[in-house]
Amino acid sequence: MSAVRVLVCFKVTPDFEALREADWAAAATQGVQTRYVRRVLNCFDESALELALGLSDAAARLGVTVELGALSIGGREVDPYLKTLVALGYERAARVAAGADGDIADTDAAGVGVGAAAGAAGVDGAGLDRAASGLDFAPAVVASIIASYVLRADHSDLLVLGCRSGPGDGGTVPFRVAEALGWPCLTRVTSIEPLGDGRLRVGAMVDDGLLRVTLRPPCVLAVGNALVSHLRAPTLKDRLERRERRIDVLAAADLGLDIAAELRREACVPTALETIDRRRRGAVIAGATPRDKARTLFDSYLSDLIETL
Amino acid sequence: MRFAALLDGTVATAAVQAQALAGFLGDGLRGDLAGETFVLYCDERDRERLVDLAPTRDVRLVKTAARRPERMFDCLTAAARGGDTALFLAAAGATGTEIVTRLACRAGGGVLTDALTIEARPQRLVCRKNVYSNHLVGRFELRARPWCVTVDACWNDTRRSPSPSHTILSESDESGDAGRPGATTDTRATGATGAAPFADAELLEAPSSGDLAKSRFLVVAGYGAASREGTERIADAARRMGADFGVSRPVAMNAWAPMDRLMGVSGTRAAPALCIVAGASGAPALYWGIEKAGLIVAVNPDERAPIVANSDAALLDDAVAVLEELAEIVAGRRTHE
Amino acid sequence: MHLSREAIVEGLQRIVGPADVITDRRILVESSVDNFRKLQNIFDVHTMPVPAAIVMARSTEQVAAILRFAGEHTINVIPRTGGTATEGGLESAVPDSIIIDGSAMNRIVDIDAYDMQATCQCGVPLQALEDRVRELGLTTGHSPQSKPVAHMGGLVATRSIGQFSTLYGGIEDMVVGLEAVFPGGIVTRIKNVPRRAAGPDIRHVVIGNEGALCFITEVTVKLFPYFPENNVFLGYTLKDMKTGFEVLRAVMVNGYKPSVARVYDPGDAGLHFSHFAADDDCVLLFMAEGPAGIAKATADGIAAIVAGFAECTRVDSAYIETWFNDLCWGPDKITAEDERIRQTLNVNRTTEISADWSSINDIYQAARARIIAEIPDITMMGGHSSHSYINGTNMYFNYFFNVVGVGPEEETAKYYLPIIGIICEETLKRGGSIVHHHGMGKARAPWVRDEYGSSYYILETLKHAFDPEGIMNKGTIFPL
Repeated sequence: MSAVRVLVCFKVTPDFEALREADWAAAATQGVQTRYVRRVLNCFDESALELALGLSDAAARLGVTVELGALSIGGREVDPYLKTLVALGYERAARVAAGADGDIADTDAAGVGVGAAAGAAGVDGAGLDRAASGLDFAPAVVASIIASYVLRADHSDLLVLGCRSGPGDGGTVPFRVAEALGWPCLTRVTSIEPLGDGRLRVGAMVDDGLLRVTLRPPCVLAVGNALVSHLRAPTLKDRLERRERRIDVLAAADLGLDIAAELRREACVPTALETIDRRRRGAVIAGATPRDKARTLFDSYLSDLIETL
Repeated sequence: MRFAALLDGTVATAAVQAQALAGFLGDGLRGDLAGETFVLYCDERDRERLVDLAPTRDVRLVKTAARRPERMFDCLTAAARGGDTALFLAAAGATGTEIVTRLACRAGGGVLTDALTIEARPQRLVCRKNVYSNHLVGRFELRARPWCVTVDACWNDTRRSPSPSHTILSESDESGDAGRPGATTDTRATGATGAAPFADAELLEAPSSGDLAKSRFLVVAGYGAASREGTERIADAARRMGADFGVSRPVAMNAWAPMDRLMGVSGTRAAPALCIVAGASGAPALYWGIEKAGLIVAVNPDERAPIVANSDAALLDDAVAVLEELAEIVAGRRTHE
Repeated sequence: MHLSREAIVEGLQRIVGPADVITDRRILVESSVDNFRKLQNIFDVHTMPVPAAIVMARSTEQVAAILRFAGEHTINVIPRTGGTATEGGLESAVPDSIIIDGSAMNRIVDIDAYDMQATCQCGVPLQALEDRVRELGLTTGHSPQSKPVAHMGGLVATRSIGQFSTLYGGIEDMVVGLEAVFPGGIVTRIKNVPRRAAGPDIRHVVIGNEGALCFITEVTVKLFPYFPENNVFLGYTLKDMKTGFEVLRAVMVNGYKPSVARVYDPGDAGLHFSHFAADDDCVLLFMAEGPAGIAKATADGIAAIVAGFAECTRVDSAYIETWFNDLCWGPDKITAEDERIRQTLNVNRTTEISADWSSINDIYQAARARIIAEIPDITMMGGHSSHSYINGTNMYFNYFFNVVGVGPEEETAKYYLPIIGIICEETLKRGGSIVHHHGMGKARAPWVRDEYGSSYYILETLKHAFDPEGIMNKGTIFPL
């Protein structure tokens, strides 16, 4: 039986949880400054990477070969993750150094600036500092890079990636890639198991419940809230054994793409950021014990309301 | 300009979608637009009910295969290319995202998901949506038409009632593998429409998060529950009070509660009349799931937790202890009656 | 004649009332261990003897009565407050122990902004005290990573140290007086004074006793003015830890007092700084604080010293400041880390030692090399130096391993204890101390005689004198 050639796409993002209230408050005028916070794997992509390793392990037990590859778009900050993946058994590891000016992430700019002059009429991309934002709000460009890599370089037949990522939280990249490749796509995937005959058993949490599907690649699987959410760690010995393995670094041009032109074609353009005021009354209910407080809450707020529910 | 609302009747969430679309057409949409609804269905028995749900008077019926969203597009693509429909709207969700994204790709338009508000201008569509896991709202412009948008599914507060009577403008059947009428097949998509990859799709018996989206009374547990046992005690207290039960992401990722209980950016968004947040700090990603609640009660020992300021009333105490006391009071009241 | 578990519970109930004696089996089992057996805790595998009861003490008098009761019946007691210990100090090593929990004694007794000292009961969370004094423009100067969860009694009992120690010192430099209850129910108060030369400084009998001599009920600590607006951060990358130690030494011996002075080896730096450091880079960082003139002079002086080391490349200070603002671990991060371990079986452990400048790099290199060579399944072996002194510094070994082929209950025997053994051997061989700030607990107790040498006489005599029945936290500091 022929091997399944899997490509997992992942994104290394700033750890937005490390930003403070003041950073978000300043974002509407100054943009979100993420340059100084540490980098993490997008959580859905981390699930995707580990699910693919689990698929490979399970397939090996059935005598089926799964060839794993990993792809990310970004600068040198991605390389430690690619080295880790190589040590874990990913046989192909590639990074597309793509951005508005060729390799933006390597130019040391990773913040997103949406200027106060946002919306200034007429100018393409008005208000968004593209050089600083990279591809954060350019899902069509990301999808075309991934699809071009699959078609021109990797020739994989199963694509696994996270269903969404910050900052855009759009969730459209998997479907865009599926469209470009002409493949079906299943989203919010939570499990991937091999059946031994080339088909896969896939679980997905769709809008109306848990879906279980048997399918045969090629297809795109977009991973959602899987219980498998952490990537395993390679040993130092694994790293030593595979340290000579190459990480492919490609320019967009290698894939026949002109990123600046692609960005100009992006049909959805961010123009401004707004802060959100969530404050409510925040009345603190006093009391000596949990029972006292619960009683006061009930009498003051809930007794009438609860009748209507 | 015209819009087309897309109601996916092949999944069980059609009523929630219809409510979202109706609410959005009433409050979220600005601009001079008239429109119709494409009702997608796979079972003749659902037809009448789905037509009744349509948020516009004019309806186009499309019969399609269940759980094969890639089959739904030919007639939509034709409409997008041929007609004067500038805007396609679907409710937020997995199928909504797939429909609008694939449609935009095929018709050369622009996509935005989970829009809070949209405003149609002559050459562009101005949209607002939450970004950065609900830390901020972003404003976007869609340039290329058709504009393909999913709309925030949470419009329970001031929803417009569905139109009382409907006019069916057209019907088509795309449920078969061959002979798709009126199709302008995109050559790039032949792989998708030619294969039958999801032939034995099976919806497992699983508790659906649909009940959370429609909840009137919600209890949400956070990591302050401290353990699986603490989470279960809060869930039990919620059950005794007649409340639905949701959890924050750390609780779900720790498997202290099933994943379909997850509230927030990567889970469910609801607009209950009453929401009690038990032991969650109220980070923006969770708050997205509950911010439309009428009354928010926070139970958290830490007065600096964001949920305290972002609640209507706050009890600075242990989540499990308070919820159990409250359940006793509420259950006692109900028994008494 | 030993009392039955039931009789122990009854005796405690007579002292504190039934509501404050916890006998819930589940809670007792969870309380039989601390974070030393964190993998077992994550998988709910418990192998230690189950304590007879947890007693929530609400006053010094109750603690005294409980210790009298335990003494009369020779029952082992384990003092505890926040419960964040990592070295087995809170494990119940023998059956039918009593855990005396001081977390309900959580009153801040006094904050004196004139005499610059604060008195609080043992169960006051450090975070709560720090928040209160910050409102007055003051700080305790104490900021261990456990600040959000640790309590004052436990911090003093384990001789803890915080992230700003190079300026403010360890907890032993902050405690001016305290109250402690010794076996037999003897309540002792050491008054709060700036200094004394009236014989040996007996505070040090109590500070760091790890519950093996007495129960700390109240502490008074120094307060300092708080000038966060003056903080200056400095960061550098470099290739060699030896150079890093040399820079730290130069800063210290030239008389500078940064609040933070650290050097991370490449492995440890990779966990925090991969967004600006290459994967073979060490990272050196400083924070200067205090009145504006001092903070600036300190930072300028340090920058001038580092400029003399060509290997060091300056990085944008904002990297360091941003990292520092997200350093402490609250319950949410602990929960997330536990879940990571549960899924991956990749366990993170730490062991901290100290030594003089001449030895520290040799200890670091030798221990690291041996652990990589001798211990299987290591996924990261690194560390950092984070607390420096005029004569030397500490090394905080930080390491991860995959648990392969054994159950959670065998993790300590297969991996953790052998690693601790290597670190202790390499440290003792070169004259360092095997424990810099986590405490001996039960994990490093087997090395206590080697650690103390001939001075073990003093330590052992303290134990015999104050705890002749041997009821105080058996197995901690002094091996069974």
